[in-house]
Amino acid sequence: MRRKRLTFPIERPLLWLGLSLFIAAIFAADTVTDREIAFAVLYVAVILIAAQSGRTRFVASIGIGCAVLTVVSYVLTTHGDRQSGLVNGALSLLAIATTTFLAIRNETTEARARQALADLAHMARVTTMGELTASIAHEVSQPLAGIVANGHAALRWLDASPPSPDEARRALGRVVTDADRAGEVIGRVRRLVSKSPPSRDRVDLVQLIDEALVLARAEIRRNRVVLRTDYGTDLPRPLVDRVQLQQVVLNLVVNAAETMGGLETGPRDLLVSAASDASKITVSVRDTGISLAPMAIAQVFEAFYTTKPGGMGMGLAISRSIVEAHGGTIYAALNHPRGMVFGFTLPLNMTRTA
Amino acid sequence: MSQETPTVFVIDDDPSVRDGLDSLLRSVGYAVACFASVREFALVHRPDQPSCLVLDVRMPGPSGMDFQAELAKLRDPLPVIFLTGHGDVPMAVRAIKAGAVEFLLKPFREQDLLDAIRAAIDSDRERRAGEAALAEIKACFETLSMRERDVMAFVVQGRLNKQIAAELNLSEITVKVHRGQAMRKMKAATLADLIRMADRLASPGVKKML
Repeated sequence: MRRKRLTFPIERPLLWLGLSLFIAAIFAADTVTDREIAFAVLYVAVILIAAQSGRTRFVASIGIGCAVLTVVSYVLTTHGDRQSGLVNGALSLLAIATTTFLAIRNETTEARARQALADLAHMARVTTMGELTASIAHEVSQPLAGIVANGHAALRWLDASPPSPDEARRALGRVVTDADRAGEVIGRVRRLVSKSPPSRDRVDLVQLIDEALVLARAEIRRNRVVLRTDYGTDLPRPLVDRVQLQQVVLNLVVNAAETMGGLETGPRDLLVSAASDASKITVSVRDTGISLAPMAIAQVFEAFYTTKPGGMGMGLAISRSIVEAHGGTIYAALNHPRGMVFGFTLPLNMTRTA
Repeated sequence: MSQETPTVFVIDDDPSVRDGLDSLLRSVGYAVACFASVREFALVHRPDQPSCLVLDVRMPGPSGMDFQAELAKLRDPLPVIFLTGHGDVPMAVRAIKAGAVEFLLKPFREQDLLDAIRAAIDSDRERRAGEAALAEIKACFETLSMRERDVMAFVVQGRLNKQIAAELNLSEITVKVHRGQAMRKMKAATLADLIRMADRLASPGVKKML
């Protein structure tokens, strides 16, 4: 038993067909029945379904199409009262126009809000990364400067004639202290990334993924990717950091969408799935984009490795840190016939506290 | 330590960098004085020897850049080498434009720092030698009488004794005597020496004497 859901139905050919049949049915009913029976009002439902696509131009053309069909029906219809038919037809047109207008306005506002949210999230990420890097660079460069100065000093004291072992020893002592200090900085960064937050919650993974997909929606649409989800039923609720894991899912999905956005031909299918067995939960993101070379697959989770022109090479490295901090593993594999699968597993019965 | 030992001043708020630089620079043979802040440094009396300043940019209290501006305002010619944990290009450009000898990033290469310090000390030594020579010229000039100064002023313009005599309404013999006195008092062996000295005295930044 699986729950299958279609997130953006309009992008599926089957639903295209359904929608067309629905329109044809309304048109036929409207034409065959008497003039005063305003079947055309049902076009409102068509427009509402079209609005799900989130494409304003598509909604507008459907709206105009429905209005034209209403007028054509009126002209073709032979029976019934002409006067009340005219009034009912006008009411239908009004309903169609109003629905189209509202759907478009709604979608525009929503798109703007989503864009603003995405910009904000990106800004925050870039700023935080920049600040973090500068701060780490400074924290590490201080002890390194000390090590350079003291190390050279020790060599010179030993090479001096006569040598000064005491001075050299003191300088070397400071080298060790500074090296420890640099090590501490790195330890602190590591703890920062893998830090266990005060509250680790039992989370509904499906809900978590869906929320991440909402955030990625703009990117998915922009790259004209067809998204499908496939969630196993009765998924256990793992104990995780919701925000961090969402970041991981978001990273994988946005990466996949961006890769497929660069495709010249071929399908752009994205399948996000979650499944569980007795010991673990697996979440995977399957795309039909570019297949990486085996060498690249081995390196892809390393920091500063990137195949994107403007990429920083941190997304997957951070994702790996997060997943590993949850006791899980992250993986990359080839998809068939093309594209990649990125995913991660989370162990169940996590008793560890880290 | 001999009188000639150049002194390197270090201002850095990080004790380990400070101690490291102290040890390194002493091992190379410099006298070193370290300070944790600009304020501490401002309080000390500096020895009259070639010296330079190794300065951290970001410190609690006034920053290194602020201090460089302060030194410039006080017309303090102490050469400055910046050493910073997080510099960027605009910062380096600003520092060098304001007269810094070098702008080094931590962790620095030992040779870069030592080269910069040597260059700074050399330039400071040269400046000091120049100033000492100028002071001596000034001292000599002070011993000249008003007449001798007048004669010297004409001599260095290349006027002949006869012309000077006419200009000052003196006999040519008297001019010759004043001229000889001026040469002797200025310790100038040749006319060319005297002209050079006059140039130094007239150079910008020196109080107008001639």
